[in-house]
Amino acid sequence: MARSTVIAGSSTAALDDVAPRVGRPQRARRTTSPSRRWYIGSIALAATIALWFVATAAGWVTGGRFPTPSDVWRAAMQISTDGGYGGGTLLQHIWQSCRLVLLGFAVAVATGVPLGLLMGSSRRADALVSPVFMLLRPIPPLAWIPLAILWLGLGDAAKIFVIWVAAFVPSVINTFTGVRSVDVTLQEAARVHGASRAVLLRDVMIPGALPMIFTGLRLSLQASWTTLVAAELVGAFTGLGKVLSVATLDIYPGMILFAMVWVGVLGALMTKSLAWLETRLLPWLR
Amino acid sequence: MAAVIASRRARHGPSRREFVVLFVTGLLAFFAAWQALSMIGIVPRSFLPGPIDVLQTIVRLSYEKYSGDTLWRHLLASIGRFGMGFLLAAAVGIPLGLLMGWYRWLDDVVSPFFESLRFVAPIAWVPFAGLWFGTGIGGPILVIFSGAFPPCLINAYRGAKYVDRRLVEAAQTLGASGPRMVTDVLLPASLPSIVAGLRVGAGLGWQSLVGAELIVVASGVGYLMVQAQLNLNTPTVMAGMIAIGLVGVAIDLALRALENRINQNWGRES
Amino acid sequence: MSRIVYDRVNRTFQRGGESFEALNDVSFEVAEKEFVAIVGPSGCGKTTLLRMAAGLEFPTSGSVRVANRDVTEPGPDRAVVFQQFALFPWKSVDENIGFGLKCRGVKESERARIVARFVQLMGLTGYEKAYPHQLSGGMQQRVAIARSYALDPGVLLMDEPFGALDAQTRVVMQEELIRLSRLNPRTVLFITHSVEEAVYLADRVVVMTPRPGRIEEIIDVGSIRRAEGWEKLERIEEVMDQESFVHLRTKIWKLLRAYQEGVKEAMAH
Repeated sequence: MARSTVIAGSSTAALDDVAPRVGRPQRARRTTSPSRRWYIGSIALAATIALWFVATAAGWVTGGRFPTPSDVWRAAMQISTDGGYGGGTLLQHIWQSCRLVLLGFAVAVATGVPLGLLMGSSRRADALVSPVFMLLRPIPPLAWIPLAILWLGLGDAAKIFVIWVAAFVPSVINTFTGVRSVDVTLQEAARVHGASRAVLLRDVMIPGALPMIFTGLRLSLQASWTTLVAAELVGAFTGLGKVLSVATLDIYPGMILFAMVWVGVLGALMTKSLAWLETRLLPWLR
Repeated sequence: MAAVIASRRARHGPSRREFVVLFVTGLLAFFAAWQALSMIGIVPRSFLPGPIDVLQTIVRLSYEKYSGDTLWRHLLASIGRFGMGFLLAAAVGIPLGLLMGWYRWLDDVVSPFFESLRFVAPIAWVPFAGLWFGTGIGGPILVIFSGAFPPCLINAYRGAKYVDRRLVEAAQTLGASGPRMVTDVLLPASLPSIVAGLRVGAGLGWQSLVGAELIVVASGVGYLMVQAQLNLNTPTVMAGMIAIGLVGVAIDLALRALENRINQNWGRES
Repeated sequence: MSRIVYDRVNRTFQRGGESFEALNDVSFEVAEKEFVAIVGPSGCGKTTLLRMAAGLEFPTSGSVRVANRDVTEPGPDRAVVFQQFALFPWKSVDENIGFGLKCRGVKESERARIVARFVQLMGLTGYEKAYPHQLSGGMQQRVAIARSYALDPGVLLMDEPFGALDAQTRVVMQEELIRLSRLNPRTVLFITHSVEEAVYLADRVVVMTPRPGRIEEIIDVGSIRRAEGWEKLERIEEVMDQESFVHLRTKIWKLLRAYQEGVKEAMAH
């Protein structure tokens, strides 16, 4: 269990050496190796899935509103074949949702990072833009959905707008913080070497801010997904959120679970790709 | 000497006064532009009410009912749900996090579930919330819980796991057992981290609430906004947005104050 | 033409409504190609003095001039070696060393040549493509020094450059610095906590008082070094064994101690 919602600078001696094994308080323990964690983790997950099968088969949980394995299988089959479900096949829904997420995300990053750079490096720009930011920030992105629908209807435009609202803020803030947190000594060293303002920005501020910029990108991506699903739940023609909402009305828990799994998987895939990109672009990080 | 001072100022950016002036300018410019845009008429006024219209709407909604209740009573319903979901998330997440930080086996067992479920955005629980609870209160609570729970858990966990070893060793040499270690050493030591987690969790929980209220409820501010949207009542939609924003800020400020209090008492600077 | 002149420098700053005087009426000169060390207790303002020459801070009154011009901003003519190395973590060793040259617009081929020369000079061969975090503290400081030297500055400002290194590495670096200064003499202002370091390296040692920082005394080491022939000795240990060295060191220690005693007395009352 490593990541957290904020940056992990994980670090110092954990309690592994000191915390006792259960029942043997005096013995210092060796750290649990990653492979052991995987082992236990897989067993736990497998056990739960087995429990799920058993519980639904034995009737401990009524299948009416709780997804059963066969339910999920049926849903998977239904949505993947010709007729599809909720307005399209699985592939069509996935394509629609991913397309919108990536579009909204791209626009948000393309507007947010430069703004963050500007506000981070120029106190004047910061002073001018901050007030608007501070006013609009407390409004949760999801709260923009009704307004977006009012303005732009139920189509793609409204979704992209809301995604932009959601993803824009983390990009700006993290880029801003990244620029501001570049070690002052490094900036001084650059100025001592005769760096002009442009060189300072390009060779010191931006590389120095990149780790935090990527954190912002990661948060923006997560926000994009969440917002997209929510927007599609409220009103859409196709997309995974649409599937979820139709399945809810149809009282089709198997389909709900199936779509949820896909939402999670796609989100995880995108996040991992971003992380991979980060390791490629930032070779100097430990 | 004057040359030195002049170049120094040019290099080091605006003075505090200049900063404030620019800030206020930005603020006023925003409102002015907003009001102007709504009045000019490129966009029909019904779609872009100006700040004054919205303010009037907020005032009106304070005593006039819309979709069943006044704005403030809707807000109260929302806050109530939030409170319950958030408290539940904290009550489960914090103890669990502390215990996981201390008992390795617990961590190993719970983590895989947590990690896999964490990827599911709170909003994705809305369908099940609707399915299982209809428009009952269980639905929003489930959604808020799924939003607020991870930060509460994670911060308690990290607080416990990365507590200063010397404190733990001191406690051990004084004979502290497992449970006592958790309550008397880990909990106080993790308090700053826990409160920070509460703040993040509250923010996420409040946001998740909004999402839930757009879909699976029959009262509350989110519901109010959806009804207004269906009736093309833009000022009310905006009024709802502002109310939500204000409450979010209030919650955050309250928790920040708590955080500062705790950090001060513990002798750490905020 | 790289003389540093401090003329009645004062530095007062405000914090929480009170003013603190960091430096009080400091005046001294560092002559062309002279190596001057400043020693003094923490908070005596020695780093501030260096940063003023660098153009990173400015006096409240009085003036700081380098090469007969007021210092208004940092620049490559006054290279700074920072205690925390200040290497750019995202640049490799040779990119770091070549940074100043790049800013100056030196062509790549020429840059590569100069960088290669300093890599060899500072014993960094083989590490050109490494990133700072892959290097030890001593190696990183070598890169920092190489980076400053590559600018061919008239003035070298070193702010406790060896403070972050362990004792053995420190000794090695001190010997290297002496070797470099003899090969490539230039005006140097060197801040340190270590009296031995100061006496070993410097031509003159400025001893400062605690806050508000004033010059207590300026000790001439260079003439004694020449008279006693320290340069003929190869190792630091041998130099530090010399009676003349010990005498100077003790003298400076006593000066610094006097103030400590003063503080102790004041605190006892």
